[in-house]
Amino acid sequence: MFPNFRHTMAWLHTWFGLALGLVLMVVFFFGSLSVFDREIDRWAIPDTRYEPQPMPSFDKMLAPIFKEMQPDAAARAMTAPLADGPLPAHFDTPRSWGAYTTHRDPVLLLFAGFEVPNAKDHETAIWANRTVDPRTGDALPVDRLKIGSEFFYPLHYSLTLDWKNVGYWIVGFSALMMLMALVTGVIMHRKIFRELFTFRPKKSTQRSMLDVHNLTGVVALPFHFFFAFTGLVIFAYIYFPVTHTQLTPLHDRHELVESKETGLPHDRAGVAAPLASVDAMVAEAQRRWAAKGMAGDVGYLNIQHVGDANSYVSVYRAGTDRVQLTGEGIHFKASTGELLREDPPPTVVARINEFLTGLHLQHFKHWLLRWLYVLGGLSGCACIATGLFFFVEKRKRQHAKQGVSGARVVDAMSVTVATGMLVATLCMLIANRLLPDVMPAGWPLRGAMEKYLFWGAWLVAGAHAFWRTAVVAEGRLAPAWREQCLAIAVLAVAAPLLNWITTGDHLLRTIGSGYWPVAGADLFMLAGAALAVLAARKLRQREARPLAVKNVTLEAGHA
Amino acid sequence: MTSPTLTPRHIALRTAVAILGGYAFTWGVVALGIALLYTVGMEFHDAEHLSYIIGFLVFLTAFLVAFATQGLRRVALVLVGGGALMSAVAWWLQSLIIASGV
Repeated sequence: MFPNFRHTMAWLHTWFGLALGLVLMVVFFFGSLSVFDREIDRWAIPDTRYEPQPMPSFDKMLAPIFKEMQPDAAARAMTAPLADGPLPAHFDTPRSWGAYTTHRDPVLLLFAGFEVPNAKDHETAIWANRTVDPRTGDALPVDRLKIGSEFFYPLHYSLTLDWKNVGYWIVGFSALMMLMALVTGVIMHRKIFRELFTFRPKKSTQRSMLDVHNLTGVVALPFHFFFAFTGLVIFAYIYFPVTHTQLTPLHDRHELVESKETGLPHDRAGVAAPLASVDAMVAEAQRRWAAKGMAGDVGYLNIQHVGDANSYVSVYRAGTDRVQLTGEGIHFKASTGELLREDPPPTVVARINEFLTGLHLQHFKHWLLRWLYVLGGLSGCACIATGLFFFVEKRKRQHAKQGVSGARVVDAMSVTVATGMLVATLCMLIANRLLPDVMPAGWPLRGAMEKYLFWGAWLVAGAHAFWRTAVVAEGRLAPAWREQCLAIAVLAVAAPLLNWITTGDHLLRTIGSGYWPVAGADLFMLAGAALAVLAARKLRQREARPLAVKNVTLEAGHA
Repeated sequence: MTSPTLTPRHIALRTAVAILGGYAFTWGVVALGIALLYTVGMEFHDAEHLSYIIGFLVFLTAFLVAFATQGLRRVALVLVGGGALMSAVAWWLQSLIIASGV
């Protein structure tokens, strides 16, 4: 675009970084929280604060539950447009039953897919979900939101904008721009190695912000590149649905060939058949894993074509001892329990793909690595935030002179996202502790209320950010930053306190009994409060400084 | 930071070429990759995954090249034309495979 290559790269880095940086900060932050999504679920649903459980007996406990499961109103509303005429009142033909758990889940997730008899596309299925206590089979109340795995995690990859998958596309494009920013960032900076050791906190805000930006960007570069890239690969089927559009015939052919090769029926036979003991099949699968010297926890259990002569049961091993997700599937004929197939070892490409996606999704058991993920994610936030600060610091005096509001708007947006996101998150957790156990009639469900309060708090933080960044237009440091830091400090102390008051699980008890899901969440918030106080104090000192007069020399590369 | 080419119109055009052209080109790479790898005997999902992994690296490169190259018209032609050409070849390969029966 410009005659000078480096100049072009710097332009891309600045402007696309600015445009997508705000989205990326949200993605990095909620991605970091998602590393401990199951633990946040425990914090938010005190009834589930017990140890993770193995897969319970299918024959005794799960089969009766599956038989009474039916899609709820939300699922019906989503499926209604896909059918000709009204949906049947009761769905009679289950296509599949599935049960899924991980080594961090005390609760068990069950899902049943049903055929929709009048669907426009015969492959359409309607789903019913239920979360149960595997010790008793009791269902978790439907108004309980798993804040970690059902809200923070989807925010991370889709911003919860589900309409036409628009959130996935925004996050996907942002991930591509993250890769672009990393590449162009490296190209802009010739002295990358020296910048690794450069931090001048006593220099101007602008200079030290750039140092932190370079430091976090370079130190965690492989981490950031890897996560942005594998995130794209995980959802590639959404971004490039080649095999469900242009190459559908090839895909369908493969499915038929595969079902012939594996002996696992692709379709129902149309003849009813009973279900043999699934527990016996699970025991046989575990015996086969043990014979290969593998850990034998069941991660995923699936029954395809339920109630049909072609039905088969698949038992998959939980992914606790390796990077890949569930695997080593063993398949049985559902009516007899006869072994149909044992999955062969994965091919080289499958191994590479599972390694890439598995390292992103981290189902394995490795607590230190989990914490490194959180640090890596937060360093991504720091890198993006300091990039935005630098943008503002560099321009605000000039904009003040010209009477342009650009720097102020960017600063207000940065406050809204960087600290406003924390305010919203903490408000949601506080709401979770303060809302009545069951919402009064006429109110939205408890989980929905928590979501509304999250967005409401974020909106208020945004309004505050725009109001209290007015002085940026005069070339000064906005008080919005300091004030929101103080708000974070108060909220991040209030949430653990409320957890103590409402559940009795204070830190002495949770640490004493080694219950880390809740102790960790509380400690993390308290550490955040301490950092926020520290940040607020520093900001006060900076606000008190007279307007900088000396112009700082910067690399020509920074547009 | 002034440059004769830096009009809003030019920026919009170049961005469109980088994103849409890059997408079209990547689509072609993924489609051709899957069809080609499957034809030479790779397992279907393996072909799919490998093509995606390569595809995103291609998209990143195409995006950067679309900005770094001087002539915008030529970039657009190569990206969109190349994407269409590769998709067409993928189509042709698919029809050969389907015609050969299961």
